[in-house]
Amino acid sequence: MIRSVRAELFKLRTSPGPWVVLGATLLFTALGIVVVFLVGKGHGHVRFVAPVSTFRLRRLIGSGFAVGGIWMAAVVGVLAVTGEYRHKTMTQTLLVEPRRGTLLAAKAVAALIWGIGLAIASLLFVGAMGLPLLHTEGGSVSRLFDQAGAVLPGLFAAFALLALLGAGLGTLVKNQVAAVVTILAITFIVEPVLDGLLPEVGRWLPSAAAAAVAGGLAPAGERAHLLSWWLAAIVLAAWGLVPIVVGYFVTFDQDVT
Amino acid sequence: MASSIRADAVALEVAGLHKRFGTVQAVTDLSFGVAPGRITGFLGPNGAGKTTTLRILLGLVKATAGTATIGGQRYEDLAQPLRRVGALLESTSFHPARRARDHLRMCAIGAGIERTRVAEVLDLVGLADVGGRRVGGFSLGMRQRLGLAAALLGDPPVLILDEPGNGLDPQGIAWLRDFLRYLATQGRTVLISSHLLAEMAQIADDVVIIAAGHARASGPLSSLTAQVGSAMRVRTPEPDRLLGVMAAARFPARRLTEDLVLVEGVTPDRLGPVLAQSQIVVYELINQSTDLESVFLSLTGPEIAAPAVSPAATGQPAAPPP
Repeated sequence: MIRSVRAELFKLRTSPGPWVVLGATLLFTALGIVVVFLVGKGHGHVRFVAPVSTFRLRRLIGSGFAVGGIWMAAVVGVLAVTGEYRHKTMTQTLLVEPRRGTLLAAKAVAALIWGIGLAIASLLFVGAMGLPLLHTEGGSVSRLFDQAGAVLPGLFAAFALLALLGAGLGTLVKNQVAAVVTILAITFIVEPVLDGLLPEVGRWLPSAAAAAVAGGLAPAGERAHLLSWWLAAIVLAAWGLVPIVVGYFVTFDQDVT
Repeated sequence: MASSIRADAVALEVAGLHKRFGTVQAVTDLSFGVAPGRITGFLGPNGAGKTTTLRILLGLVKATAGTATIGGQRYEDLAQPLRRVGALLESTSFHPARRARDHLRMCAIGAGIERTRVAEVLDLVGLADVGGRRVGGFSLGMRQRLGLAAALLGDPPVLILDEPGNGLDPQGIAWLRDFLRYLATQGRTVLISSHLLAEMAQIADDVVIIAAGHARASGPLSSLTAQVGSAMRVRTPEPDRLLGVMAAARFPARRLTEDLVLVEGVTPDRLGPVLAQSQIVVYELINQSTDLESVFLSLTGPEIAAPAVSPAATGQPAAPPP
């Protein structure tokens, strides 16, 4: 199993897709950082100010989460599974590891590790861009560090679990483009619509669950509406694990011709 | 490397294999064995079920019924599959952006094979100089070599190769033939599927012939050609006496022209001594159509209802002829 995970990590490392996703994550993080520094002044005017409130300092640490960067973790999960179908490398992969349950588990674990890697990369980027910005704008770096403990566990968990969700989606859908389009459809259409119409249902959906997992990042008003941290973590894990198990039987365990 | 291979440790066995894809019956009650330490040609026309059979052997496709085992075990039950069986399949593909060396490293990591072996197999297939290049820029021949390198990564005693000559130019084919012979001399068991008969005739010890998902024949190549296709044409000034001698020797014979007699089911080494013994004058002795192609066509052609050599199709191939 460990060998298979290492092989899957090596595969991700030696294909361009995950690196493009890493770049996109950093781009989203940069965007997230800028958003934290922008404060609306009414009448369409904005001001560039260092964050002072606890909430905005947390948002700065979790810049990779905001604006949709978190969904890049799901894309890596999709790539981990669908890349094999897209490039028809499944045959070679199954010759190396014919036990398909082990293989799929290894892919899920490798996706999860990359998800955490994306979270780390986004934090490093906050360190490289957000910290100097905070300093030059007169913000308190030590107050920022004080908030790290409240943000980091949830941030890592959210990135890891969304990568798992991506792996599940990839297993179920198989087609890379279709899986990525599905992610976009869920985040930009299905969830906002459902959340608006049926808020009771909406909070069980992946985005809301991820927001609850990364609890410290949500505004206080919104937080009341979210699931509790542990329940959200279970729900988000289920959003990944259920498609993986179903996908195993529906697609993954089928003949490879 | 070769010394570590025990030829008797593994062989392949297919027993009562059936495979149905939806409404298409790809393989029907297929049984054959592959003897250890020999090159076995797995022959049949396109669509005969060769690739399906090999994919079942390798655990990629599930059999509808029957078994296909390697040393008595299913592929997915092998503890270290890459160290037992090396496989090159027709549709094996590579990630175009991955370097050749990384493709092999990826397999080595997953199979727990030491990384030094990657450079060894690249060298073995003549790709040492291009190991750092991305596979996307490889020619078909280079891809086949890379596939072979992956198959050899675990230094396996058994090799299963699906149409390895496909897409190769004549130099590539010649290289492949030499390379396969070299592998066989190390005592490896090699099963090669092909529809290129002439190619197989040059390297195979045994053959298994299938058509439309059925086994038509199996056994040593030499005995097969002798059994099916062998016939001799004899040009002689005394055809009547020859027919008499042939009848006495129980060789079926008939007259073709004034001075030409066809003797069926014999090889030159069997007919020659009889002719010498009875002191028949021979102007010309022609070995007629004993090549694999005629065997193949006679066994797989649609007009042939009953296979000419079917008893050998089950169980292990017979011992080589004396």
